[in-house]
Amino acid sequence: MTTSTASTPSPPRDPTTPIAVITSASKRYGGVQALRDVSLSIAPGEVRALLGKNGAGKSTVIRLLSGVEEPDSGTVVLGGTPLARGGVKAAQQLGVRTVYQELSLIPDMTVAENLFMGAWPRRGGQIDRRLMTRATSDALARLELDLDPRQPVSALSIADQQLVEIARALSQEPALLILDEPTSSLAAAEVDRVLTAVQRIRSAGVAVIYVSHRVSEIRQVADTATIMRDGQVVDTLPMAGVSTTDIVSMMVGDADLETPLVTTAAERGPVVMRVEGVTVAPKLAEITFDVHAGEVLGLAGVLGSGRTELLAVLAGLVRPDAGTVVVDGQRVDGRGLRHAMSLGVGVTPENRKDDGIVPDLGVDENLVLTDWKKVTHRGVISTRRLAAAASRAITSMAVRTNSAHTPIGTLSGGNQQKVVIGRWLHAGSRVLLLDEPTRGVDVQAKAQIYELLRTLAGQGVAVVFVSSEMDELPLVCDRALVLNGGRIRDEQVTPHIRTDQLLLAAIVEH
Amino acid sequence: MSTTNAEPGTAAAPTTARRLSLTSQQLNEGGLAVALIALIIILSFSSDYFATVDNMWAILGDAALVGIVAWASTLVIVAGEIDISVGPAVAFWSVILAELNGKMDLPLPVAVLLTLVGGALVGAFAGWLRARFGVPSFIVTLGLWSALRGLAQFLTNALPIPVGPSPFLDRLGGKIGQVPTPAILMIVLFVIFAFVAQRTAYGRSVYAVGGNARAALLTGINVSRIRVILFATSGAMAALLGVVFAGRLASGNSGAAQGLEFSVIAAVVVGGTSLSGGRGSMLGTLLGVLFITVIGNGLVILGVNSYVQDVVRGGLIVGAVLINMILATRGRASSR
Repeated sequence: MTTSTASTPSPPRDPTTPIAVITSASKRYGGVQALRDVSLSIAPGEVRALLGKNGAGKSTVIRLLSGVEEPDSGTVVLGGTPLARGGVKAAQQLGVRTVYQELSLIPDMTVAENLFMGAWPRRGGQIDRRLMTRATSDALARLELDLDPRQPVSALSIADQQLVEIARALSQEPALLILDEPTSSLAAAEVDRVLTAVQRIRSAGVAVIYVSHRVSEIRQVADTATIMRDGQVVDTLPMAGVSTTDIVSMMVGDADLETPLVTTAAERGPVVMRVEGVTVAPKLAEITFDVHAGEVLGLAGVLGSGRTELLAVLAGLVRPDAGTVVVDGQRVDGRGLRHAMSLGVGVTPENRKDDGIVPDLGVDENLVLTDWKKVTHRGVISTRRLAAAASRAITSMAVRTNSAHTPIGTLSGGNQQKVVIGRWLHAGSRVLLLDEPTRGVDVQAKAQIYELLRTLAGQGVAVVFVSSEMDELPLVCDRALVLNGGRIRDEQVTPHIRTDQLLLAAIVEH
Repeated sequence: MSTTNAEPGTAAAPTTARRLSLTSQQLNEGGLAVALIALIIILSFSSDYFATVDNMWAILGDAALVGIVAWASTLVIVAGEIDISVGPAVAFWSVILAELNGKMDLPLPVAVLLTLVGGALVGAFAGWLRARFGVPSFIVTLGLWSALRGLAQFLTNALPIPVGPSPFLDRLGGKIGQVPTPAILMIVLFVIFAFVAQRTAYGRSVYAVGGNARAALLTGINVSRIRVILFATSGAMAALLGVVFAGRLASGNSGAAQGLEFSVIAAVVVGGTSLSGGRGSMLGTLLGVLFITVIGNGLVILGVNSYVQDVVRGGLIVGAVLINMILATRGRASSR
């Protein structure tokens, strides 16, 4: 770009030498093979999209390049220097900067202070604010950002905060910039600003790795794409001339290997939850669907699709701008969780650790939190009834724990999740809203959770199963809705639920 | 972090962690009990008077002046909150009782009842500010701490106000047989609070809110109501102690219970309750109360300069918690 010629101090790079090379890297986490013999190479000024489903190995690649992890075998070479045991510091010295999807700015400090975080310029023992402000203006100008450096970050929009974060990474003169889902929390108009910034960065000779689920924006910004599946690189190819359908089929691979638990859609019971025209600007637009007793309804959507917001509305936690959610003839929307609960709605949060479990309390007490009345008499706990309720749940859901009193924080993720679901069964919920119930759960526990959901559906419970892992939906759902950009884009019914179709509907920009 | 036999970890980890986390609480209480006994033995050898029956009752009587509010404070702290207004609240409600009974000539039962209800209401108000508006409980009760003492002094010109002569109040501030009445009250309340904490839905919900308020909220626990009840209870117990003080001093005294809030918090924390919430036990607090009272009593008996007493007390409190923390970190490290 023409504007930044004067302020481009980055040394000229030989465009033929790759900036980062990974050679046959493998990495295991416990029992999971996260990467298998992965090789890739990025040249200066190249924008490389990294594509793959959840768990395909994208984040592990990012962790290797930014020095957070080292491979079990294979090498990572940055600018000709092998990155051996140096960790994050060494990777930074070799010019790698990573902007993660979670913002890492300190809201109450100014843009300038954030840009220089930890390395504030000093003069005579105090921070040189003038220098800092000027340098920040320069850094922002490189991205054509017109922001006051003395403004607190909290006063900025999310998009501006994201751009400040990118500007901070850029101000440290990186050779390789990794952007991990930089647009997942942005609206369409704001996305363009990030894309423009990326193009500007590329023209300065910086290599960019761009992780995103949104194919259309990848088309606008990336030269090449590396597609990953099951910890391996499927292919690296130029974006021009490859169709979205091809990309999706590479991401999904051959037919689903696991045998689905459902082959024909269950006989649906009556409608228990009716969602009509739910709108929460700008996240959700006119969502309408019914949930029937006895079905597992999948709700597919990638990060930022509006799935979390939708679930919050269904649980009564968020009041929608328009539309209604009705359970058994009674409005639930915006009436609070306890009202929804009293109508038989139960919800398990996406973030089990922070929002789900009370780590120091035992499995038994975590199970009955939703309804103490079942195990108390006039407020006094009956030890016998508590033990009975706990052992019933522990047995029926195959929770692996030493005793019912074991603090739940010491259990594995899968077992914690079973307890978190189990507490709603204890409360007798008829509509279960499960937000990513299999996240961070091992394969065996996943299978057990699927089975549990099928059993519950068989007993007439309505299960809404939110997932960003498209390949698990055909296994367990009677019906799946695809959420993309705050709207329902597709509906599929067993046995015609296909992972590739779900993924296509979930990531294509409409 | 020990690596010696961590390898078969995944399967064995829960077992180890559980055993250690159980011991960590028992270790805490056991260690404190041992320290208490050691302290008593040392003091018995250092002074002839210390180990007398009279002094033991005196210690229990003094312990009651902390313990009566410490049980409620334990629940408050387990919930991740704090109430630092108890000292001024005790003084204020002793003054109010004296005003109602001594000056306004209300019958004593009515005056006592009004005092207790008033204490609960003021506490509930503090809890409501916390629950409804998210004002940190430290700030709310700091405000009360200042306002209640000020109001008590304004009402009385900082002079004691006599309560009407009453055998009930005399007995409440005095003894039944050999036993100081406040000590009996403390024990009865201890049993009630220990039961509430361990065996009622409310008590366990308090632990849930302190352990993870968001998770508690998402299971439908009425977190706001629990917070209001917690502070109402704490306020009522402070008012009750105010009544005890009025009996003991035969007057309402705006200068009573100076620094009580710090003794209470010290006792609770020495007893192993986590200031960040979710963990703690009534038994721990009981031991903590006794520990602090014995130290205070011993220092007086040994004739230590009263200013130096404060220094020693401060050092012992920090030391006790420090040992606690070190043991807890060790326990956690070896369970990895």
